[in-house]
Amino acid sequence: METLSIYAPRLVTKRQSLTPGHRACSGCGEALALKFVMKALGRDVIVVMSTGCMEIISSQLPYTAWEVPWIHTLFENAATVATGVESARKALARKGASLPKAKVVAIGGDGATFDIGLGALSGAFERGHDFLYVCLDNEAYMNTGIQRSSATPYGASTTTQPAGKASFGQSTWKKNMPAIAVAHDIAYVATASASYPFDLMNKVKKAIAVEGPSYLHIFAVCPTGWRIPTDMTIRVGRLAVETGVFPLYEVENGKYSLNYDPPQLRPVIDYLKPQGRFRHLTPEMVDKIQQRVNKEYARIKEKAAQ
Amino acid sequence: MNDITEIRWHGRGGQGAVTSAELLALTAIKEGNIAQAFPSFGPERRGAPVIAFNRISAGKPIRSRAAIAEPDIVVVLDPGLLGIIDVTRGLRDGGVLIVNSSKGLATVNSEIGGPWKLAVVDATAIARDILKRPIVNTAMLGALIKATGVVNLESLTQPLEERFGKLSEINVQACSKAYKEAVVMEYSPGVKKAEKVYPIEKSLSWKELNLGFVVTEMGNARSYRTGYWKSERPVRDNAKCIKCGMCALFCPEDCIHQDAEGYFEADEFYCKGCGICARECWTGAITMVEA
Repeated sequence: METLSIYAPRLVTKRQSLTPGHRACSGCGEALALKFVMKALGRDVIVVMSTGCMEIISSQLPYTAWEVPWIHTLFENAATVATGVESARKALARKGASLPKAKVVAIGGDGATFDIGLGALSGAFERGHDFLYVCLDNEAYMNTGIQRSSATPYGASTTTQPAGKASFGQSTWKKNMPAIAVAHDIAYVATASASYPFDLMNKVKKAIAVEGPSYLHIFAVCPTGWRIPTDMTIRVGRLAVETGVFPLYEVENGKYSLNYDPPQLRPVIDYLKPQGRFRHLTPEMVDKIQQRVNKEYARIKEKAAQ
Repeated sequence: MNDITEIRWHGRGGQGAVTSAELLALTAIKEGNIAQAFPSFGPERRGAPVIAFNRISAGKPIRSRAAIAEPDIVVVLDPGLLGIIDVTRGLRDGGVLIVNSSKGLATVNSEIGGPWKLAVVDATAIARDILKRPIVNTAMLGALIKATGVVNLESLTQPLEERFGKLSEINVQACSKAYKEAVVMEYSPGVKKAEKVYPIEKSLSWKELNLGFVVTEMGNARSYRTGYWKSERPVRDNAKCIKCGMCALFCPEDCIHQDAEGYFEADEFYCKGCGICARECWTGAITMVEA
């Protein structure tokens, strides 16, 4: 019982940059992921946030759940505003101003990252600004009521593509956002999950240590949108990794490494079954998803082996 | 009552207040009335207090689309709301108040009695018994129909079937059981509403806001009590607790802190009762009980 791993949770800082009293749904996996991100970042940060669940729940006028400088921008331009903050600080430093040390971090949901803000994000990566972009991916527009985004996985029922007689839910595969970030040839890209907090926090620390842009893709379970009981958040997040649906890997200067590679992946049905959004899937569709997951996982594994 | 009956529903996100308002409007329309149903909620989430409204008219067109400030009927889906929101605000003299509570008519009357008819039903027990989950909206519809007669119980069956499909049968059962079990105290004129102070958050006028909506007091959300949202709370068994801190690590509210003895205690002020701590506890030391 006196092993370090049991007591590891107690080593996490108690300091809160995101305070309690925020208004996320009970059991919110995204708020949990954001909590870990903020704990790993510490206090010397400027946070730029695009519209989305985490923005709404943390900044209900006249309240704020933030204890670091924080600015809400539009849906599409968190990366652009982060660019501006970073450039302004550089310009001020050039003019002789003494500024406290701070890292610029832009945070957006999957809608802001995959769909609406992709152009702005690509531009900021291309210009090579020194900032970290964190995507909190809960696989749909949960804030406005579970509309599909290009992060929604195949077969998931959403309010804009509900499963029923005429549709089986989302008909397209999830966009491979980390690969798009890697394609910009930036120094650090990683995927993480709130169900693996130490892996997540280590990746945040690695990402902010990098000169230039870095991208962190965090899997955030949404009990409301995925139709799971609120206490299952961590379990479902773990299942996503154990089944290979969401592999944890990092790409440092183009070099892939797989952080969690079990000898045998669990079948995807273990991950799909607890979720109401996949309840309607037929065995054939589950099989189709299994094959896709196998293919994608093998691709990452092959890259990691290179 | 006026030509137009106005109903206000108080519930929590996820309990089905919005659905019940819709079902009631559909039923009223089926009976040849004109009806409206619409919700009102902020950007808050599952577990936060929500309000829904109905207007029902026998023939007079309904022109107003505004929120209802002076309802004829108020339905309270969650007993926990009685202490935190003034649910009877604006309720007309001679109106009807329907409350979900396990405390019985006399106790509820002493808490929230006034110049209105009061109906009490233990809808949570009925829902847990029949639906196997604490979703009380259909049971509350049964109690509402008994206390007010705005629609007939039989007319509700078809909208329930259309809405719930396979689950409609148990919902009809829950509805009729609540219809039978609801106890009603008739209106007695002249009774005064008890003066009570409710911990509703202060709302600022636009003149008090900073230019550009800048908030200068960092982390002031700490003063916002999200603990009201929960329907279940964690209870720790000290004999099983090994003080590992896994519960604190995975708490999305970050509201579990180590006390002087080394045990990890959830702060009831913020805890939303998600149950992650109980699920992730290595030794099974935490269980969730009714709040």
